[in-house]
Amino acid sequence: MSEAIHAASRTATNDGTSASVESSDTSLPEVPRAMRCAARGIKKAFGATPILRGVDLEIPEGTFAVLVGPSGCGKSTLLRLVAGLEEADEGAITLADRDVTHLPPRDRDVAMVFQSYALYPHLTVRDNLAFGLKLRGTSTAEIDERIEEASAMLGLAKLLDRLPKQLSGGQRQRVAMGRAIVRRPTIFLFDEPLSNLDAALRAEVRVEIRRLHDRLGATTLYVTHDQVEAMTLADSLWVLNGGLVEQKGPPLEIYERPRTKFVATFLGSPQMNLLSGRLVKEGGLVFAEGGGVRSRVDDERFRSELDDGREVTIGVRPHDMFLAKGDAPKIAELKVEIVEALGSEAFAHGWLTSSGPTVIARLDAADARTVKPGSVIPLGAAPTSIHLFDAATDRALA
Amino acid sequence: MKHLRALVTLIAVVAMTVLLPGCGEPPRGIVLWHPYRGGEEAALKKGVLRFEAERGLKVTVLAVPYEAYLAKLEAAIPRGNGPDVFIGPHNRLGEYLLHRLVAPVGDAFPDADAPRYEPVTVAAITYEGERWAVPLASKCGALYYNPRLLPEAPRTLDDLAAKRDFALGPGIWPLAYESHTAYWHSALLHAYGGELFGAPASTEGGAGAPPGFAMTGEAAERSLDKARELVATRVVPDEASGDLVKTLFTTGKAASVISGPWLAGDLEDKVPYEVVPLPSIPGVGAMRPFLTVDGVFMTPEGAKSEGARALARSLGDAASAAERAEIGKQVVATRSYWSAQDGGGDAAALSPEAKRQRALLVAFHEASADAIPMPVSPAMNPVWVPAEQAIRKVLRGDASPRDALAEAKARYDDVMRTPPREAVSPAPLVVVVGLALLAAAFAVVRRVRAPGFRRELAASKPAYKYVLHAAITILVLVVLPLVAGAAMSFFAGTREEARFVGLGNYVEILTARGKPLLSHGSFYLTLLVTVAWTVVNVALHVSIGLVLGIALARPVLRLRAIYRVLLIIPWAVPSYVTALAWKGMFHRQFGAINAILVALGAEPISWFAKFSTAFAANVSTNVWLGFPFMMVVVMGALTSISKDVLEAAEVDGATRWQAFRLVTLPLLRPTLLPAVVLGSVWTFNMFNVVFLVSGGEPDGTTDILVSEAYRWAFARNAQLGYAAAYAVIIFGLLALMSKVLGRIGGGDAKEAI
Ligand SMILES: Nc1ncnc2c1ncn2[C@@H]1O[C@H](COP(=O)(O)OP(=O)(O)OP(=O)(O)O)[C@@H](O)[C@H]1O
Ligand SMILES: [Mg+2]
Repeated sequence: MSEAIHAASRTATNDGTSASVESSDTSLPEVPRAMRCAARGIKKAFGATPILRGVDLEIPEGTFAVLVGPSGCGKSTLLRLVAGLEEADEGAITLADRDVTHLPPRDRDVAMVFQSYALYPHLTVRDNLAFGLKLRGTSTAEIDERIEEASAMLGLAKLLDRLPKQLSGGQRQRVAMGRAIVRRPTIFLFDEPLSNLDAALRAEVRVEIRRLHDRLGATTLYVTHDQVEAMTLADSLWVLNGGLVEQKGPPLEIYERPRTKFVATFLGSPQMNLLSGRLVKEGGLVFAEGGGVRSRVDDERFRSELDDGREVTIGVRPHDMFLAKGDAPKIAELKVEIVEALGSEAFAHGWLTSSGPTVIARLDAADARTVKPGSVIPLGAAPTSIHLFDAATDRALA
Repeated sequence: MKHLRALVTLIAVVAMTVLLPGCGEPPRGIVLWHPYRGGEEAALKKGVLRFEAERGLKVTVLAVPYEAYLAKLEAAIPRGNGPDVFIGPHNRLGEYLLHRLVAPVGDAFPDADAPRYEPVTVAAITYEGERWAVPLASKCGALYYNPRLLPEAPRTLDDLAAKRDFALGPGIWPLAYESHTAYWHSALLHAYGGELFGAPASTEGGAGAPPGFAMTGEAAERSLDKARELVATRVVPDEASGDLVKTLFTTGKAASVISGPWLAGDLEDKVPYEVVPLPSIPGVGAMRPFLTVDGVFMTPEGAKSEGARALARSLGDAASAAERAEIGKQVVATRSYWSAQDGGGDAAALSPEAKRQRALLVAFHEASADAIPMPVSPAMNPVWVPAEQAIRKVLRGDASPRDALAEAKARYDDVMRTPPREAVSPAPLVVVVGLALLAAAFAVVRRVRAPGFRRELAASKPAYKYVLHAAITILVLVVLPLVAGAAMSFFAGTREEARFVGLGNYVEILTARGKPLLSHGSFYLTLLVTVAWTVVNVALHVSIGLVLGIALARPVLRLRAIYRVLLIIPWAVPSYVTALAWKGMFHRQFGAINAILVALGAEPISWFAKFSTAFAANVSTNVWLGFPFMMVVVMGALTSISKDVLEAAEVDGATRWQAFRLVTLPLLRPTLLPAVVLGSVWTFNMFNVVFLVSGGEPDGTTDILVSEAYRWAFARNAQLGYAAAYAVIIFGLLALMSKVLGRIGGGDAKEAI
């Protein structure tokens, strides 16, 4: 996760890109730069099944927007709507202030990288790259120049005369990106471009994509269901669920302040621990109690909604828990079942109560040696790291 | 003990089976074969029974189906287990003689009997001064007319011509007959004193020699003028097939038709009719149809038997003849029956039906008096085919009778040209075959000496074991016939008298038999037509297949499954059925296509009159037959093209057409190419369509190489060696074509996907 946090914080310091996006649920504030891509009230159904139920999307110039969500939630569909490969039932799409809702893909000036790469099997790498440019009547000199530039950027120079089937998965992926880059489109669309690569290659290409983006400053809409990609790549993150945008904003903000239980569990690995409980007021302090946890709540954060006895779901990320040593306040006791030691850190899996759900807590590497399965360990957590969700609506208390 | 008994039993059984046939068989008496059925058979049997009773001899009567008659005779008689006496049509005599199936009848037909039979039938069974059969009955054409349309029996052609231009009612022809066939045109030809068959061009070959081409001169020209006049003045419809003639008559669309006695059986009660002899041509004479006589022939064995001869003679007597006439409804050759009829006979006692029947017989008998017996040669195609081409050409108005006949005569001469001289030495052939074998051996040696051959061979030994039986089957069923065919191409002449000519046939083919290279019927012209035929067809197959395949692959199309089935149907129907259906549709007067053209206000087209339209008719038929295959191939290939790639092209800025041309088409290529190779080979050899639809019309110009080879083998004096040489050349061309096409596509076919 550290990488994700790093990327996100760097994004936060990179003003301008994140300035346009706020955690607020209501409409976005004034945007300093032109919207490169905007979608309003997009609805789309396949047959009788509604897939998108009114999605709004806004991507300012130069922003790397990432669309995440569980499988089948309609991410690809939304992307294809932007590309023009599907037609929306309702709503409008504008690209660079041009209404493209009813235009075919070729008139939209978008470039897309497919999950399958979709390289032209009968054309060499060079011809694959040149395909779109030739169709647009770009001059040969210009085409050569752009291909050279892109292939230098992507390390394709030696592969230009090969056919796609003579390339490795990673190389094909790069060719697919090259094909998009040479086009210099209004917007880049990526549909899970890394999902066919192995883990090591994926991490490598991920960094490369971000690097390219920073270099080209190209507006990008990137679809993934991999939350590491989402956290590390995004300037603005859009969480899609059930055909609606559930939350949007800079990734770190969403990570720190998930607005629904779904978002809270969807981002972060291992998942946030969730326990049912209620709020208890004692001597001016508010405690969340239940499922074996009793913790103070940061009443600064939840000013208004902390009614005594309110039913809530208590959420604590494994990374926010620690082994309570000495007189540090403890919020729960974990009966350890197994310990996963990853070297730099460890995760203890266990139960707080005999009937409760499995709970995961992060341990320091040093502590991991002393904690044995079967032992009971005291856990602590800062009151600011306790998330509260309304038990009935699953929305975060604010 | 037990073993001994078993052994004894075995020996006994073997001994019995070996000895019994020799001694135990009862005497079979005289054996008679005949192809008759129904009434004819019953009548024959009656005569035989009476003979047995009178002579006390046993006669075994065996009915042999007509289709297999000649083959059975050929197989049985030389082996000594054939009949002593058999019944057959007289025009097969040449064939019988060629295979030594018959002997002169001797005292079965003594000179004293000559007045007993109709002279025309006696003439028919007499050949080179010998009598070869006892005449039984004859068949020839006569005029059937519909008394409702023609109350008076038409006596002359002018009676019929008076009803031209549909004077009898819309669409009602005064007369219909197969005017374009040499067989029926001969009736006119004979009326003018002309002849179709002449004396054999060469005296070699005896009874097997083809007759000469006699349809020349003024009589022939006038007969053609007359036929043309009948068609042009709308007395007679164009190109009516036998079926069409019948249909026109039964539906009342033809007031009269010319046909043989067999038509009566088909008419039943569908239409009222009367029969009279063929009309005469005023100032010229009577139309004289061809006549076929059924006779009793004696096999060489049977001719030696007095009993057999007596049987044959008795079948021609008055009593037998009366039975065959009354029961078998045959036009008997025995005069006594007819003289009895002339006297009125017992007519008063007859039922109306029997009276009618008798009137029919009398009419055919009357017609037979003027008829001309068919010649006996077995090799009449060299005359039939060019004569027929000339007749068609004149009827269409494409040539004057004189030119058409001159051309036909030239064609006859071309076919009957002296075959290549006997090869002086087989040296050139040995050199050519030797070179071929050497090349093959060289290839084998190179392969054997290639590195790793031994290892590969050892590794694939088990595989060879598994394919051994298949390899042997292919060797026996494919390779050996191929080699036999190739060997045949080194001989000339008919099957019976093949002469080794080495490469003579090839030389003749490749030099266009000494005529200009692109002259009519030359190999090169036919090759040109074949190539055009292949290219046009395959191009249409592929483009229509592509369009439909792509249309059907689109998910948006409603009722896709139904279209798919409908479009595959042409493929599922046997091609000859389709070909015949299309031929019917292209008929000038009765075809659906001209009906549509006329309905649209266009002139009807005589499809088979010109090369271009006949070729187009062939192509339409073959395209109809062939596009479903390409369509299915395209549909299959389309499923293997990823949707993403097409979408990528769309996003890259391609229009539909560009995506198709730049992505879909190149990706279909690897699958399409083998299909194109296959399709080309099929089309190159698409005999069915060419043979059945245009039949080479006009004038053999639309023939392709295979149909040309077929004609040399079966329609032109059985020049099997010449045809075999054609076949070998076709084989070579196809092998070359597959190789070249494969190479064109091979390169990138391997690369893509
Ligand atoms: N052409 C189509 N016809 C019918 N249903 C479709 C079609 N395309 C997508 N769907 C359905 O729409 C829903 C959303 O599909 P989509 O491909 O957008 O999901 P996704 O969010 O990209 O999922 P994943 O992460 O697995 O790629 C799915 O339930 C899918 O079954
Ligand atoms: Mg998807």
